[in-house]
Amino acid sequence: MKREAPTSRAAWEQAYAQSESALRAADVERCADLPKLEEVRVRFLGRKGELTELLKALKNLSLDDRRTLGPLAQALKDSLDRQVSARRAELEDAYDAASLQKDAIDLTLPSLRPPRGRLHPLTTTLHEIACIFQFMGYSWEEGPFIEDERHNFSALNIPDDHPARDSHDTFYLQGLPLLLRTHTSTVQVRVMESSKPPLRVVCPGRVFRHEQIDATHSAVFHQVEGLVIDEGVGFADLKGHLQAFLQKLLGPSTQTRFRPSYFPFTEPSTEVDVKCFFCPGSGCPACKRTGWIEILGAGVVNPAVLSAVGYDPEKWSGFAFGIGVERVAMLLHGVQDLRDFYSNDLRFLAQFDEDLV
Amino acid sequence: MKISYNWLKEHLPLELPAAELAAHLSRLGFEVAGIARLGPAFTGVVAAKVASREKHPNADKLSICLVDDGSRTWNVVCGAPNVAEGQTVAFARIGAVLPGGFKIGKAKLRGVESEGMICSRAELGLPKDGDGIWVLGEGPALGADVLSLLGLADDVLDVEVASNRPDCLSHRGLARELAAYFRKPLKPLRLPLEETLGSYDLVRVEDGAACPFYSGRLIEGVKVGESPEWLKNRLEAVGLRPINNVVDITNFILHDVGHPLHAFDADRLAGGRIVVRRSKAGETLSALDHKSYDLPEGLLVVADAEKPVALAGVMGAEKSSVTAGTTRMILEGAYFIPTEVRRSSRKTRLRSDSSYRFERGADPEAAREAAARAAALILQLAGGRAAGACESSSPRAANPVVKTTVSRLNAILGAAFPSEQVRDALAAIAAESKGEADQLEFRAPSWRLDLATAFDLAEEVARLLGYENIPCRMAPLAPVAARTTPVEAASRRARSHLCALGLWEACNYDLLAEKTLTACRLPPEGPPRVADPLSEDWALLRPSLLPGLLKNAQHNLSRGADAVRLFEIGKTYARAGAGVTERWRAAGLLLGPLLDARWQAARASRAGFYDAKAVVEDLLARAGALGWARLGEPAAGRTPCDPLFHPTNSLRALLDGAPAATVGWLHPRAARAFDLEREGVVLFDADLESLAARAAPRARCAEFSALPVSRRDLALLVDKAVAYAQVEAVVRACAPADLQDFLLFDVYEGKGLPEGTKSLAVRLTFGRRDRTLTDAEIAQAVETAVAALARELGAKLRT
Repeated sequence: MKREAPTSRAAWEQAYAQSESALRAADVERCADLPKLEEVRVRFLGRKGELTELLKALKNLSLDDRRTLGPLAQALKDSLDRQVSARRAELEDAYDAASLQKDAIDLTLPSLRPPRGRLHPLTTTLHEIACIFQFMGYSWEEGPFIEDERHNFSALNIPDDHPARDSHDTFYLQGLPLLLRTHTSTVQVRVMESSKPPLRVVCPGRVFRHEQIDATHSAVFHQVEGLVIDEGVGFADLKGHLQAFLQKLLGPSTQTRFRPSYFPFTEPSTEVDVKCFFCPGSGCPACKRTGWIEILGAGVVNPAVLSAVGYDPEKWSGFAFGIGVERVAMLLHGVQDLRDFYSNDLRFLAQFDEDLV
Repeated sequence: MKISYNWLKEHLPLELPAAELAAHLSRLGFEVAGIARLGPAFTGVVAAKVASREKHPNADKLSICLVDDGSRTWNVVCGAPNVAEGQTVAFARIGAVLPGGFKIGKAKLRGVESEGMICSRAELGLPKDGDGIWVLGEGPALGADVLSLLGLADDVLDVEVASNRPDCLSHRGLARELAAYFRKPLKPLRLPLEETLGSYDLVRVEDGAACPFYSGRLIEGVKVGESPEWLKNRLEAVGLRPINNVVDITNFILHDVGHPLHAFDADRLAGGRIVVRRSKAGETLSALDHKSYDLPEGLLVVADAEKPVALAGVMGAEKSSVTAGTTRMILEGAYFIPTEVRRSSRKTRLRSDSSYRFERGADPEAAREAAARAAALILQLAGGRAAGACESSSPRAANPVVKTTVSRLNAILGAAFPSEQVRDALAAIAAESKGEADQLEFRAPSWRLDLATAFDLAEEVARLLGYENIPCRMAPLAPVAARTTPVEAASRRARSHLCALGLWEACNYDLLAEKTLTACRLPPEGPPRVADPLSEDWALLRPSLLPGLLKNAQHNLSRGADAVRLFEIGKTYARAGAGVTERWRAAGLLLGPLLDARWQAARASRAGFYDAKAVVEDLLARAGALGWARLGEPAAGRTPCDPLFHPTNSLRALLDGAPAATVGWLHPRAARAFDLEREGVVLFDADLESLAARAAPRARCAEFSALPVSRRDLALLVDKAVAYAQVEAVVRACAPADLQDFLLFDVYEGKGLPEGTKSLAVRLTFGRRDRTLTDAEIAQAVETAVAALARELGAKLRT
């Protein structure tokens, strides 16, 4: 409804009264929805809105009238402004609430996992061991799994008739003068044959023993061999390096114990134990009630081994060690049966998810 | 080896509890695998006197005794008829524990309080000896512990002796080691032998090099019978079964001083003589273990005039052994060279306590004394008269002198042991040790065969002075850039790619069964074979990683898994001429839903060929130019595990034209063999070494265009036989350099299309770095492509 702009005070006041009552009728505070509210806003406050027009029309009145009527109109406009804003906020909140409610999903449904791979616990354990040594400057070396007698035995000071061969039950290949290596010490020999001292190497890999498989024995298992050859290296260096390694692997407060042992290729030889980390030294099944857990074998390289590869034992000396990966993995993860590592049962593998690569 | 602590104490006085002894042995390098407490399992039972006995007021068969244990008297109700005043008895005090864990407490018996129990032998777990309570006889002090009183308890240590220390394979040997460690003297061994028969010429040794010492002694008039308790107890403590006094004595000496002996029945030796010689072709030995052995020619045997009566140092013949009827015997005390005994033992697969010691190295000088000690014991326990020993011996050089210095030993150890300590330690184990200032001269005793170098002495010093007294040294380490091998680097890359693609790493044995290969359609003649497999399941070295993975899939499906995605990185083996080659490979399989999204079926698609193809593309990416060939095409070459793959739905991946990997469906017959036919298994198998040989270059960042690109979609109708790769190749061949990307977004066959055709929807993306292409240019390029497709493949645009 288009109105003529009032030009007299009376006309203006009449128009004002009409607008005021129309406003009351519109009942902005209870306006039903946003489109209606917008309609009201445009009708009164739009560029050509009734109140806008009334304010504009003041210019046709006398200065006195303007002074008295102007504030009146302005107040009405401001009040309407506030009412519209407030009602709009209310209506928008209500609208959002309804639409958010409508979009609601069942958040408790199971997640959709992208397929995610897992590394085998023997891989992560082997890498963990080898990486500690790599940080200590040991290079990664490998050798063949199929070996000859020389590299597996005789060059390691285990001659043919040596009783130590009894403890290395060996798989020989049919019709070939070859065997499956019984320890990673073979790589010591290969590395020394192909490189000049000084040396600092770590040789991880699979080894094979001709023995029946049970919870603690496997015919196939993994070792990490280490070898350091330098001038003036002694048993004390072996102790230092291995203690540093064990404290990195098992924690800085790890206590170590070095016991005499025998390996033909080292002299003196030692078996290294760590203080049981399952019990407070009082004894538990993990440490066979001794308070100590045997973790690796080591020793000063026997000069016969150095001579066998043409190193001068008067000039060079060193130490070597061998770590059973399965044994460490069993201790670290509480695996009770060694065969589990080779079962490839997904229920077993699923439990190793802390490291990916 | 089982060591009885009581027995050990006969050689060296030791007071330590067994557990502490075990700790010391461990520090010396002898691990103790266990300690078994022997003897009756009771505590708190003491010797006590029956001070008085009265009848129980309420029971006919019970009596009330006052029992004096030396400290006070106790009121005890006893049911045994033989209890009498004045007896010394075994009295279980309140708190005592009897066998079976039965704990003695106060009890009321028919209204009378009993403060303990008078025990019978049976109640203490001892062999029964008459009825009623055990009467100890006069002598025991009141209150003395019955266990220790009667020497009934013993600790048996299971000691592990390394193969270089045969000298410690006996009680005296270990006592000698402990004597050096504790710096205490050994008790002397004395058992005089009276020789009353003169000497007989009984022995001829034909090979003095193999048998440097042999003594045979005739003993006449022996009475073979049961051994006395003490001897039986000793043997039983170390797990031996008593047989008869003579045999028991030889076994006792073996475990006492460590030297193996043998006793022959002299009347069952043809000619009554002994010859140490080589076995001849066709000879056999019916040994004491009731088995017969064919002796290969040339083994060292002890023979009578006709035949071998013992495999020297290993085992004697059953027929000539000492039995209940023996009266004349010949006692052998000999030293055989270790390699001879080892060879005999290996060739016949016959082992014994004797061969175990001889092949590790017995004390060459101990045979004479051990045999004399045994003879004296035989006279003592079995009676008879002994002749002088008939000996054959070859001169033997003493152990050589090791000359070294204290500083050399300290250098080997990285230790700073004072000279006196080192000298003192070595003197405790030496036959002879001297030297001034830094100098050391050391001669090992005859029983130590393992002390020939400074390193050997360094170990002795470390053992006797304590490994814990050597410092932990981290000498300044020259920083070195640690290298790795190309294969290891490639393995790590492969592992990270495969894990990122959702595969789990498996780890299988390198050995497998012939039937597994057959199930995989792989020829069992190909792979190398193990000479003496543990079982059928371990006969062959794997020619491929896939058979193991297929077994894993089968295993997991049978245990309820519905999706299996596994890979393995490992070695595979093949025969190559006179040798064997081993090669690193990476293989894997996929089956079942890729996403665990059962409740959103639309997203749960199953793994198929194209998923496995993606894995291979990912593995090979950036190692070279990737190409493909169908199996059977010349470019594909052949690999040993091709028969495992579906012949048509499999591809060889080529790197720079050379075969590098295979991907495809599992051959249906192999699928059947593994119960996987309904699963839809896809496999891949990549040669890791060819990847390792082509280390991927480091990623280089290239600038990319900020200008918009233009896309054009084409729906092409082609003959069904036209391969997608042909379409892409034709478009790429004729397209301008401005073609940035070629994308297939739909493949359709069926309703609405002419018979024998399919529709391929492709999206071509054009763009330039320097400017935006005009519509005319793009239209021109599309037109060229469509024309080429029509010309070369008969493709039509669908409208």
